[in-house]
Amino acid sequence: MIKVEHLYKSFDGKQVLNDINVEYEAGKCNMIIGASGSGKTVLLKNLIGLMEPDSGEIFYGDKCLTGMSYVQKKALRQNIGILFQGSALFDFATVIENVMFPMEFFTDWSKAQRIERAKYCLEKVNVIGSDDKYPNELSGGMQKRVGIARAIALNPSYLFCDEPNSGLDPYTSILIDRLISDLTKEFNMTTVVNTHDMNSILEIGDKIGFISGGTLLWQGDRHTILDTDCKELKDFVCANTLARNIIEGRK
Amino acid sequence: MIKKIFVSIGTYMLFLKMVFRKPEKWKIFWRQFINEADKLILSSILLVGVISVFIGGVLVIQTASNLENPIIDKMYIGYMVRESLILEFCSTMIALILSGKMGSNISSEIGSMRITEQIDAMDMMGVNSANFLVLPKVAAATILSPLLVLLSLALGLVGGWIVVNATQIIPPPSYITGIKAFYNGFYIFYSCFKMSLFCFLISSISAFNGYYAKGGSLGVGRSSTKAIVITSILILMFDLIVTQLMLY
Repeated sequence: MIKVEHLYKSFDGKQVLNDINVEYEAGKCNMIIGASGSGKTVLLKNLIGLMEPDSGEIFYGDKCLTGMSYVQKKALRQNIGILFQGSALFDFATVIENVMFPMEFFTDWSKAQRIERAKYCLEKVNVIGSDDKYPNELSGGMQKRVGIARAIALNPSYLFCDEPNSGLDPYTSILIDRLISDLTKEFNMTTVVNTHDMNSILEIGDKIGFISGGTLLWQGDRHTILDTDCKELKDFVCANTLARNIIEGRK
Repeated sequence: MIKKIFVSIGTYMLFLKMVFRKPEKWKIFWRQFINEADKLILSSILLVGVISVFIGGVLVIQTASNLENPIIDKMYIGYMVRESLILEFCSTMIALILSGKMGSNISSEIGSMRITEQIDAMDMMGVNSANFLVLPKVAAATILSPLLVLLSLALGLVGGWIVVNATQIIPPPSYITGIKAFYNGFYIFYSCFKMSLFCFLISSISAFNGYYAKGGSLGVGRSSTKAIVITSILILMFDLIVTQLMLY
């Protein structure tokens, strides 16, 4: 579980996050949604420790991230998997080497054990027969899958995904969404997905937080989002044709 | 402007502090060290070799044309070519050339990793990215670069010998006597030391610029250019300082 309390962040006097209070539960796809520039990426970067908040606390279980030393943060990070927007696969390594990378650093497993685990993770994300390819030889969807395989390599308790569907076709997007959702439930991870893709939100959003202008305006799930009274969220949702049609159909 | 310079120096020092931590696993470090040695030093051999041979030849012609005095023994031409090569060309000039090749390689590689979030991914795994990516480069460049000095010296002298034989600008035996005359082993040490220092500056400053690159692919290009300009100036500055300290 991740708990955020009274989180504030500003840049050059401009308030980007304003009193964020939220709880992300284990075994669920927790989503941060909002329009571009609403502050969701800043929130995600604060959550994973790539940015320091101006004030407020972030708890991983009962441990507070903001007060952790370098060594404690390093230990926590080995328990976190991240899928970056552009996958961030290492250009210098093949697919299997990318997945084995965190194992090499943080386990004492033999090479055979590392290969076995990497192959297991790649199988989980349905990437088979591409072990020796380099990232630039893979399609965007394949890169995302390998990114997920690398993120779950050390069996983390927390998984963060930054816009996992950006640049993907609708079909691949849904496959990636379902993969994230299935892995979350299978490994009981606390998953936080940062997205503005309505299809994803309606597909896997177990818990959704809508941010606008740096403020968390609404919290709910994929079943309640279409019935919201929040004007900003309604505008955001209705920008998607599918969601708009569903709402109009209901009326 | 002055504030900016001091901020950059401070950030560079903090960056070096991250770089010079104990590697997570020595096995990984040595593997990276060998890769970097191949990429930075071995791949420079051809460039250094070709330049050295030609410069050796040019030095012979220039020195001979300036020493057309019957009183001065012709062997001094060989002697002066050797001293020019050891004292300045093999270290400073080669370092300036390498600052372009090695510097742009390091800076653009690390810079593109930064803008594609690969460095963030490493940091988020708990890997000290500066240590993993930069320490093997700095170590390989600093420790192995003196080999390039020795190679450059040898090939520079060979280049001179080829020109002497081809043009008979001076008698070849005089050239051979000259390059063996008044040998001072300290100059070799001085030249190797300078080269190590320059390669430390090239690798660390280029890595620093790449590591903090921002602004997409344009930013990577800018950081690469900045790294080369800064290292070129610093090489000449430290050349003066080290020469004053070690030779006078």
